[in-house]
Amino acid sequence: MIDDDVLMAYADGELDEIGRARVERAVAADPTLRARLEQQQRLRATLAAFYGPTAEEEVPERFRAMLDTNVVPFAPVRARPGRPLWQSFAALAATLVLGLALGRTLLSPAAGPVAVENGTMIAQGPLAASLDTQLASAQAPDAATRIGTSFAAADGRLCRTFDSAAMAGLACKGDQGWQLIMTAAGHAAPQSGYRQAGSANPLVAQAAQELMAGEPFDAAAELRARDSGWRHR
Amino acid sequence: MQAFERELLTLLPRLRRFARALARDSADADDLVQAALERALKARAQWAPGTRLDSWMMKIVRNCWIDEMRSRTRRARTFVPEEEGEAVGSEAHREIEIRAEMHAVERAMDSLTPDQREVIALVLVEGLAYREAADLLDIPIGTLTSRLTRGRQALAQMLEAA
Repeated sequence: MIDDDVLMAYADGELDEIGRARVERAVAADPTLRARLEQQQRLRATLAAFYGPTAEEEVPERFRAMLDTNVVPFAPVRARPGRPLWQSFAALAATLVLGLALGRTLLSPAAGPVAVENGTMIAQGPLAASLDTQLASAQAPDAATRIGTSFAAADGRLCRTFDSAAMAGLACKGDQGWQLIMTAAGHAAPQSGYRQAGSANPLVAQAAQELMAGEPFDAAAELRARDSGWRHR
Repeated sequence: MQAFERELLTLLPRLRRFARALARDSADADDLVQAALERALKARAQWAPGTRLDSWMMKIVRNCWIDEMRSRTRRARTFVPEEEGEAVGSEAHREIEIRAEMHAVERAMDSLTPDQREVIALVLVEGLAYREAADLLDIPIGTLTSRLTRGRQALAQMLEAA
């Protein structure tokens, strides 16, 4: 006698070889039993047909974004009164280390985003072009380099923060071009939805705050600065 | 992206399907997946590398679903009396709307008890072995099969009648 539990276990693939053979023999000899088994199998097929397509769908972007650990989550930059960034040994050391690493990897081929001229690091190639022309207020969501904040430094130079897959940084426009004031390792997903206003890198954002005289540029001020060629104030 | 996140990403299609079988509609299902991901990312230290991430994740999805149902029950009970008539009216109305839009399969699944629905989702939708499903739910295998039998009978009755 085959009861419903055994029939169900057969339909779910839970029986061993002997059990399966027993059910198959019984089903072959008993049309009622066969109908009950077919009902079980129909049910499985109905559920599979209804829920299966969900697993075929493209996974929503918001879930991908949640799992993207390279994105620095939004964190307000905390002002540290009485301890400017440039006196913070740890921050400076970290920047130097990254600078040295960049020196090895990015500076050796002339085609990298950074050139060394008279001992200073100058942006070149696409990075320089982005710094020259790209407006934070109107940049393509998939731009390779994203501009964060633009502002005037206390010494009158105009500066901008940027982010790309390779590096994040802060550059100020001088006579030789865009001088890299600081750089940090980039996060690998610059196109992701989670983005801090100034820079995705808190160290860069803090350096920008330290250097900034007055407010960061709004869209109109950014446009004026670009059209004037990022000249000193 | 680290190994943990990468593996989670590959599990997402299955997790969404599982959530879809538990929740009433696809929007609720994705809210459930999101809640489960948030919980998993917070609790990642509790996952032992080398053990099965899929079972661990399905357990989290299932627990989030239980929590969500409990808080719904609480919300339904905590209407202040003056609002009650109105709220019950709109709830009932929404209920009618939801059910009108439901597919026969969803309606049938919705008629199951939560105990039955989760075993149906694990075994019939996700294809887990009885042992795996029983371990995941922390119930004896006999309890699993009896819930499975009753859930199946209810589903078959509703779907074959339709």
